[in-house]
Amino acid sequence: MTRYNIDKVLLHNVSISLRIKTLEAIYRAQSGHIGSSLSMSEILACLFFKIMKYDKGNENNDKFILSKGHGVPILYAVYQELGWISMDELLTLRKINSKLQGHPDMTIFKYFDAGTGALGQGISIAIGYALAFKLDNKTSNVFCVIGDGEMQEGQIWEAAMYIGSKKIDNICVIIDNNKFQNERSVKETLDFYPVKNKWESFGWDCIDINGHSVDEIISAFNIFKSNNKPTVIIANTIKGSGVDFMENKSEWHSKNLDKSNYEKAIKQLESKYIK
Amino acid sequence: MKSIRDAFGERLAEQGKINEKIVLISADLKVATKSNIFYENFPNRSFEVGIAEANAIGIAAGLGLSKYKPVLSSFSAFLIGKNVEIRTSIAYNNSPVVLIGTHGGFIGPDGATQSGIQDISIMRSMPRFKVFQPSTPILTANILDHCLEIDQPTYIRISRNVVPELYDENFFFVEGDPIIIQEFKDMCFFSSGPMVHNCCKASEILKNNHNINLGVIDFPSIKPINENKIIEIFKNTKIVFTVEDHMKEGGIGSALCEILSKYNLDTKVYIIGLNDFVSSGTPEELEKKYMLDPNSLSDFVLKTLNDRIFS
Repeated sequence: MTRYNIDKVLLHNVSISLRIKTLEAIYRAQSGHIGSSLSMSEILACLFFKIMKYDKGNENNDKFILSKGHGVPILYAVYQELGWISMDELLTLRKINSKLQGHPDMTIFKYFDAGTGALGQGISIAIGYALAFKLDNKTSNVFCVIGDGEMQEGQIWEAAMYIGSKKIDNICVIIDNNKFQNERSVKETLDFYPVKNKWESFGWDCIDINGHSVDEIISAFNIFKSNNKPTVIIANTIKGSGVDFMENKSEWHSKNLDKSNYEKAIKQLESKYIK
Repeated sequence: MKSIRDAFGERLAEQGKINEKIVLISADLKVATKSNIFYENFPNRSFEVGIAEANAIGIAAGLGLSKYKPVLSSFSAFLIGKNVEIRTSIAYNNSPVVLIGTHGGFIGPDGATQSGIQDISIMRSMPRFKVFQPSTPILTANILDHCLEIDQPTYIRISRNVVPELYDENFFFVEGDPIIIQEFKDMCFFSSGPMVHNCCKASEILKNNHNINLGVIDFPSIKPINENKIIEIFKNTKIVFTVEDHMKEGGIGSALCEILSKYNLDTKVYIIGLNDFVSSGTPEELEKKYMLDPNSLSDFVLKTLNDRIFS
């Protein structure tokens, strides 16, 4: 079975493996954003193992930008799962002289399409790539994951306005709508709901899905691929998804993972593989 | 006589014919920054993003990472004000964007909010960026050509002033090098951009009216700097007056002091520049108000030399 023909059970299992590897790396580093990584598990599994044209060294690859750069631990886990970096390297996360910096650095980790970290900027970089694809007559796409709290940054709306106005159809924005941000819930911090009509009013097609359902994620990306309008996917996710004591708890945004919690979490996740 | 921004706009359009990878990003200031010539000639390679500098910076970064050569021009006050966007999207990713910041210093009646007076200081400290400021049309074309060739982010400070030419057509810009415009023995002005011309006039006044010989150094390559050239020039220089239409902190005066200090050169440096926002008025009135016109500069030199003799 080639990667692109992967079935839904395997995609689910990839998402569990990504979570486990993310926690291993963060536990080893004793630092890193857990909740914001785990909520993206199924989205990244589907993108990198099913949806995106993404082969090592291929100049015609789709582009992927993690605008919410703090969620990078699970993206490193993706590259380990793809076999592009070793497990040993994954476990250098956040260590001195590691290529696996606390936030994505494309100048030292060569597989990234953008370094990010200061929030709000990824979609604009995605526009640059998307315009270049059009100039080059390439049919490649740009996928950009933003956080829900990140929508508080004004630049997100500058970019949304531009894409909507110019009807750019080779960018897919995915909102990891996990409903929590650094200190508290998004609602308690700055309640900007509803989100959908804001994007629609800028000319976007908005697809609202369960961001942990492989079925719904794949069908949303298929709509994007056949769509000739700007497309945003609101992926409703659970912060810390997969580990019950981390789910919907804002403190697990970047809380320190001790041995007992780490072992409990891994045990829970391992029981979620579908055999 | 030609304005530096006109020289920029014309050269960019000429280069657009030769290099199909050049793309323009603008934020509703094409005519004021003279990028409109490129825009009109190459509409398919021009992207007007509206009044949204942050988005413009990110788009430029993405195009630069796609092997294009993006040029983004806007007022330096607005563009360089977007520090975290330039820092993360362009510098951190080492995207080879050419940022053009116009309307630095004495821009005229539009006043303080539109005048760029901190851009050199901010961009000098921006990792991976090179920083240039041309004083004449020929130097502008040279510097733009250089920035379009190198695979690194660059910032060019472009003024709106109409200035005479100081260089001949065969002049070749060398990154890092200060340029001696007027030879000297032990005292000189050290300046960049349009203020170089005020220094030349002040030097004339000092020579003709007071028989004082003050050389003039043009400093277009603000970062990087060829430190050996600085040492060579300043090892026998007793006094230097640095002149800039920019805040004193972090500008070209600071840049020079950093090198003189590093190599223990005991040249005395007087930094002449701005201390506050620049108000409305004609550029000529503003130069006088902020003491950077030729007469104020020559008076400053006379007073300083006088004070030194009697101190």
